[in-house]
Amino acid sequence: MADRPIDDWFMREVLPLEPMLTRFLQRNWRNEAEISDLRQEAYARVYEAAQRERPQLVKPFLFQITRNLMIDRLRRQSVVNLESMVDFDWLNVSDDKPSSEAYVAARQELRLLQAALDKLPPRCRQVVLLRKVEGLSQKEVAKHMGITIETVENQVAKGMRLLAQAMGSRRNAVTTEARRYNFFRKPRNVR
Amino acid sequence: MSADEAEKIAADWLAREDRGLTAEESDRMELWLDQSSLNRVAYLRLKSAWQRADRLAALKSPLAAKRETSPPRWHLKLAVAAALTLLAGGGAWLAWRPSEPSGQNYATRVGRLQAVRLADGTQVELNTNTRLHADVTDARRTVMLDSGEAYFDVVHDARRPFTVYAGNRRITDIGTKFSVFRNGDDVRVTVREGRVRVELLDQLGKPVVADAGHVVMTKGGETLVIEKSGSDIADDLSWRGGVLVFNQQTLAEAAEQFNRYNERQILVEGPARRIRIGGSFKADNVDVFVLLLHRGFGLSVNEQGGTIVVSR
Repeated sequence: MADRPIDDWFMREVLPLEPMLTRFLQRNWRNEAEISDLRQEAYARVYEAAQRERPQLVKPFLFQITRNLMIDRLRRQSVVNLESMVDFDWLNVSDDKPSSEAYVAARQELRLLQAALDKLPPRCRQVVLLRKVEGLSQKEVAKHMGITIETVENQVAKGMRLLAQAMGSRRNAVTTEARRYNFFRKPRNVR
Repeated sequence: MSADEAEKIAADWLAREDRGLTAEESDRMELWLDQSSLNRVAYLRLKSAWQRADRLAALKSPLAAKRETSPPRWHLKLAVAAALTLLAGGGAWLAWRPSEPSGQNYATRVGRLQAVRLADGTQVELNTNTRLHADVTDARRTVMLDSGEAYFDVVHDARRPFTVYAGNRRITDIGTKFSVFRNGDDVRVTVREGRVRVELLDQLGKPVVADAGHVVMTKGGETLVIEKSGSDIADDLSWRGGVLVFNQQTLAEAAEQFNRYNERQILVEGPARRIRIGGSFKADNVDVFVLLLHRGFGLSVNEQGGTIVVSR
């Protein structure tokens, strides 16, 4: 199980940045299908780097790594040359005022979860509802719904993926902060 | 392995973990996690989402909970409490008799918001300092707003109209989103979507019907309906996000709004009461509000024992 301190750190410090990161990738990466791959690889790099030494500032670190990853991929694809990145939104620097909206966002957590729950397919939704809202065990859910425990397990797996996706791509106040991490504001830093 | 494949396997492991792992499974999972950081981050990401979903327990249906735990004697107590509430609410309440005592009380303290989901799926958001009683059964859906303000996103059900009692008014939804504010017999209904019917309890059957964009204001037996733009309605409901929006309100009115959300009260004195202001503020951030008044209008701000006095 994930009992390592580094895992706790990762869940506490890095994963909450996901909506911001997703939005950043959506703005700056044309191929939508590759975004979850990019995100996961960025996570893996952050995780590995943090095993050696934890970064002081997590947000800039995550976005720096993501940016480097994007450059690597672009080079490998050699479809797009570096100049063409001028088109990308990441050059449009805007220094948003620090938002106090993360606070509101925290209070919206339940609402977000509920919205995510509502979007699940009916059977999956019922399983998640019984498991998380009513607090039944998987076995009890199976009994209550008259389905096999394997089906419950499959629906739980499906449900958590859909929830993670919905929570990670939410469009709300926090995402405006992504614009503050436009690392291409100094293009000469690009090697 | 693509992100998608790793995520799928991670989800399968977590689902098994959620059910309970055998020692052998646990070992195999550890092996898989150690294989690659990609596996591990996929696992942690889903684990985090699944843990966050624990908060959904806050939505647990109060009726279901009651069914499990209430011995019959408890019903009697509730019946007595309900009867007392009815008496306290005035004679008109006597017309409304619960056939079976049930339901749940909800309340928020000053400065707090709370979202609850009723057994029928209707979403209720309580504003600051609000008390209400919700009763949802197979036969009816009733909310009694004792004080404060609440926003309703009603799941339509033609068989069971959704009814809110506030002061001497009855508000019946016709499938909609609306909010009700009550201070004694002052009742204000703001309709965001759909249509509601507002009736005086001793003149049932002579309803005022309000559509989206309408605000119904009542005092005693009088009723005023005004029409507002969508953005004005959104401003009126901005409290749902913990924000107050002002658009050419007087300082006295703005202070009154802040005072609903904070124990520390703002008192505006003299001609400063008539200054008109606009802007949006976090409802619980009195300090920034008065600071801006000081800076913007050169008003003096003095705090004395929980009261912030603002004057020229």
